[in-house]
Amino acid sequence: MKDNLIYPDVVQWAVPFFIAAILIEFAWIALKNRGGRYETRDAITSLIMGAGNVASGILLGFIAWGFFMFLWELTPLDLGASVWVVVLCFVLDDLRYYWVHRFGHRIRWVWASHVNHHSSQHYNLTTALRQTWTGTFTFMMIVRAPLILLGFHPAMVLFAGGLNLIYQFWIHTEAIGKMPRWFEAVMNTPSHHRAHHGRNARYLDCNYAGVFIIWDKMFGTFVAEQDHDRVDYGLVHNLGTFNPIRVAFHEWVGIWQDVTQPGLTLRQRLAYAFAPPGYSHDGSRATSEMIKADFVAQHPEETGTPGLASRNLQAKGDRVYQFDAGPS
Amino acid sequence: MPLEILLVLVVGGIGGIALLLHLSGRSELLVMSREEARAAWLRHVPGDDILDVTVSHTGHAALVQTNEGPGLIWAFGADTVARHLVDFDLLDLEEGLAVVFHDYSAPRVHLQLTEAERQRWRELMRP
Repeated sequence: MKDNLIYPDVVQWAVPFFIAAILIEFAWIALKNRGGRYETRDAITSLIMGAGNVASGILLGFIAWGFFMFLWELTPLDLGASVWVVVLCFVLDDLRYYWVHRFGHRIRWVWASHVNHHSSQHYNLTTALRQTWTGTFTFMMIVRAPLILLGFHPAMVLFAGGLNLIYQFWIHTEAIGKMPRWFEAVMNTPSHHRAHHGRNARYLDCNYAGVFIIWDKMFGTFVAEQDHDRVDYGLVHNLGTFNPIRVAFHEWVGIWQDVTQPGLTLRQRLAYAFAPPGYSHDGSRATSEMIKADFVAQHPEETGTPGLASRNLQAKGDRVYQFDAGPS
Repeated sequence: MPLEILLVLVVGGIGGIALLLHLSGRSELLVMSREEARAAWLRHVPGDDILDVTVSHTGHAALVQTNEGPGLIWAFGADTVARHLVDFDLLDLEEGLAVVFHDYSAPRVHLQLTEAERQRWRELMRP
């Protein structure tokens, strides 16, 4: 086994590229007067979130690393470090990313970490850097376990994850419309990822891909950006603060307030932490399925269009049944 | 990458980009007309019926009367944020009012109002 395999921390090395690309995108928007928007405090918040993400990786990275090395000691498999193994690792890690990202939108505990990435009402290259500070506490490092047990070295898995993150940087832009058709068919692109960042009913919970959009097409979560439904960026309930501390922790605070309110059953408390965002024990809030159903009720002509197929919809009364039925 | 160089890059990058954006006019607060405030409210709360809209003299905030009760929409940089007025405190300020929401994600809004507006808004903001 190769215990001393070392790869560069590519995300840290990409920081100068990130800064240069932001300056180029801003210059393009300023010169052309199109292709996106920048706002000072929004951008500063995004950049501080990015810096905090790197800092949290330096401070807490040992937890995931320790877990991965524990698994590496357990597994009898070692696929080596050839180029083809790295390529395979990258592709499989992208599949891992798809599911972690999907869990990030469908499990409130994981959403509490990921929500800050969606909290800007802007969509530019600084938005790409609006990353979580609390990813370690979601325990989503578990989803990487199969890769390591299959014989991919932990350093290689983290290297692939870093490359994945760097790929996703450039797709956070309105300055690029559509890429060539073959590219749009296989790869995640600015167009696909704009849809992912939409708070419009149609675009909720779609396009979880990191690098290859084929995962969304395989698992039924792909929604193409629609010309007649311009993407409205941000959260269903947008934040009223630029304070990075509040951006980083607001959903965790929300979970705590919901879980500890008096008069709930244990099942309801657990649902506030682990059910999809928008769950409430009394039906006072709306999940993405309910929001889609409400939208279709108001716009019946949109029924069956991308993102608004009947399987994506859920009537209001069904939700309380789904999570609260059964003994408490 | 050595931590010292990373730190210089991060601090310098954030500072430089912030300065560039500010000097190029990207710090200006949104100004809303009555119709823009109405449209912005419906963007945030699409299910509401709007009964009336009162825009502040600065255009940075508006009170919205809806079938769900009164709401406040305010400029948030170049964008807007909206909240129904259900759980909040009001504080008098020299330049207007402070709305203190009991909401970790939108803690406080400062409203620039004339003395006449302040009296009127206090009345309208009652749930």
